[in-house]
Amino acid sequence: MEKSSLYDRLGLPRDASVEEIRHAYRQLVLRLHPDLNLNLGETELFIDIQQAYEHLSDPKRKADYDKQLPEPREIVSPLSITTYYSQPSLIRLSEPQLLYSLLDFKLHPDTSLLMSSTPLNISLVVDCSTSMQGIRLDTVKLTAIDLIRQLQPNDIFSLVKFNDWAELLISAGSLSELKSTEMKIQLLQAGGGTEIFKGLEMGLSQVNQFRSNNRVNHIILITDGRTYGDEVSCEKLADQSSALGIGISALGIGNQWNDKFLDHITSKTGGICQYISNISDIRSSILGEISRLGSSLTEQITFNYLPSQKVELLSAFRLQPDSSPLVLGSPLIFGNMPRLGAMHILLEFLIKDIPAKLANFTLAKGFINYEIPRHIIKTKYVQRIIFERQISRELIQEAPPPAIINAMALLSLYHMQERAREEVGIGDLNSAIRHMESLAGNLSKKGEYDLAQTVKDEIANLKRNQSFSENGEKRLKYGTRSLLLPARIEEGNA
Amino acid sequence: MIICPNCGNKEMPGALFCKECGSQFITISRDPTMTIPSSLSDQLHEYLSDEDEHVVPPTPENASLSLFLVDFGEVIPLEGLSEYTLGRSSEDQPILPDVDLGLYHGYEYGVSRLHASIKISTPYAFLTDFDSANGTQLNGQKISPNKPYPITHGDIFVLGEMKIQLLVNR
Repeated sequence: MEKSSLYDRLGLPRDASVEEIRHAYRQLVLRLHPDLNLNLGETELFIDIQQAYEHLSDPKRKADYDKQLPEPREIVSPLSITTYYSQPSLIRLSEPQLLYSLLDFKLHPDTSLLMSSTPLNISLVVDCSTSMQGIRLDTVKLTAIDLIRQLQPNDIFSLVKFNDWAELLISAGSLSELKSTEMKIQLLQAGGGTEIFKGLEMGLSQVNQFRSNNRVNHIILITDGRTYGDEVSCEKLADQSSALGIGISALGIGNQWNDKFLDHITSKTGGICQYISNISDIRSSILGEISRLGSSLTEQITFNYLPSQKVELLSAFRLQPDSSPLVLGSPLIFGNMPRLGAMHILLEFLIKDIPAKLANFTLAKGFINYEIPRHIIKTKYVQRIIFERQISRELIQEAPPPAIINAMALLSLYHMQERAREEVGIGDLNSAIRHMESLAGNLSKKGEYDLAQTVKDEIANLKRNQSFSENGEKRLKYGTRSLLLPARIEEGNA
Repeated sequence: MIICPNCGNKEMPGALFCKECGSQFITISRDPTMTIPSSLSDQLHEYLSDEDEHVVPPTPENASLSLFLVDFGEVIPLEGLSEYTLGRSSEDQPILPDVDLGLYHGYEYGVSRLHASIKISTPYAFLTDFDSANGTQLNGQKISPNKPYPITHGDIFVLGEMKIQLLVNR
């Protein structure tokens, strides 16, 4: 592997400005929470970053360092990134306006890659609380055993069980005796509460031991319950995990788990959160998650950005390869891009004001960072991205790209149920019911009768109990999200 | 500001859909302030009640209309005629529809050869289904054949399975 340069450590290209260096450094430090050191080896990472910043933020030291760097080689970026906008130009208005942008990531055709699957470094973190007892845990156990049998010799695997505390059942890098390992899994018992932080903490320390640019480093959390009181620690752990390049995905079984919380945690790391409503789907969901990770080109694409003054990023949503809302903040974690396929991110910008006499308006700029495990030339990449639009005097009339319209048509339905949930949360039942009714109408119009029926059932629940049913809430959220999946959109167009 | 033609909700310029009711906004013409005659359903009721005597002459100076093919992101302007037939052309058919949806996979979408018509007038245009094989829906409701229905900016109608939105440029 190439020696990482000071610029690589901060995720910057060599021509980065002083302001950009400072911004990148701050972002990294914020995510690492050095004050809350969990002794995961991030101290080392922190010192590396600190050192890089001290060098590069001092113009003289930076110049000296630049001199000793070898001439930059011309390397074709392995990803080609295209930006689409909802309108060809902006006009100055006396009121705030919105602009949508779609980022399209594709593998550059000239890129040669090892097409075999990427080696895994994963930890399965399994909830063994009382509620998992019976067929839920049994299915997870059998699937874990099958999974271990399918692993490649260079994959690294660990298994953590947790309830009120965590226990390391299979430690990373120790998979040799299959028989005794399987026995250990068979003997897993359910009992106790659900302390997700304890489980994640142990899973993270296992993955971190073997963390490498040449692997997909990931934690898979399987749970069916709510964690209490350790949410903030989990959030910080997610930040650290993401700064270390380790993703967290979650599979929530049944109706009792906290979908908002796990969405948030997984999204912070570029992972995904799935709702398993049927026990019969547990197995395929776990195996699907493993094969998704194995076929990834790059696990964490991040976007370290700075919006211009008077511009705010209102929302970010990943439309492909899966559909998930992204946690706002810099950097944005775009997540996993598959080796075959693309990644689409939809951004919603609020433009509060456009200064006079500009020909071009920059909305935001920053750096896309990603690693390509086992790439022959190098593994770390950075690409500069600028979002900008021409300012025109009159509006140029042009329909937005169909990809943006189609995505927004469905996203607006997802947002509608999110709003209804918020409204129920603050006790505004009338508005919630009104939004649910328009949601039902829109879903029927699109031919989504099952989901429309779920909405109608929940309207009845709202009227009767002043609240959603737990199961309906999740079906609505993940159901409206799944409308955006590429397969569903193609179906709709056929 | 954009005012939703369907529910009157206010959205910021640049918004593509109404957050309240999910209607798609005009996407090609967007003046800083756009106002559109209110609540369609009220007007529809009024209209249906005095249906028999209803004759609306085409007004020559009226606003120009276009059709937005939702699934294709294509806009077809309606210019020069007072009434347009919609359908798909086929080789053995002597009459061509004014708007040929055969170019947009009309057959696969279940569009009939002579499916419907749009008559242009103000303040509403009128949509008539010609008793087509797969029928026509207007804003989610199936409409009766051979009866004109008023439609206005932002309304979505579906021929077979082809979704089309009426756009009024002002």
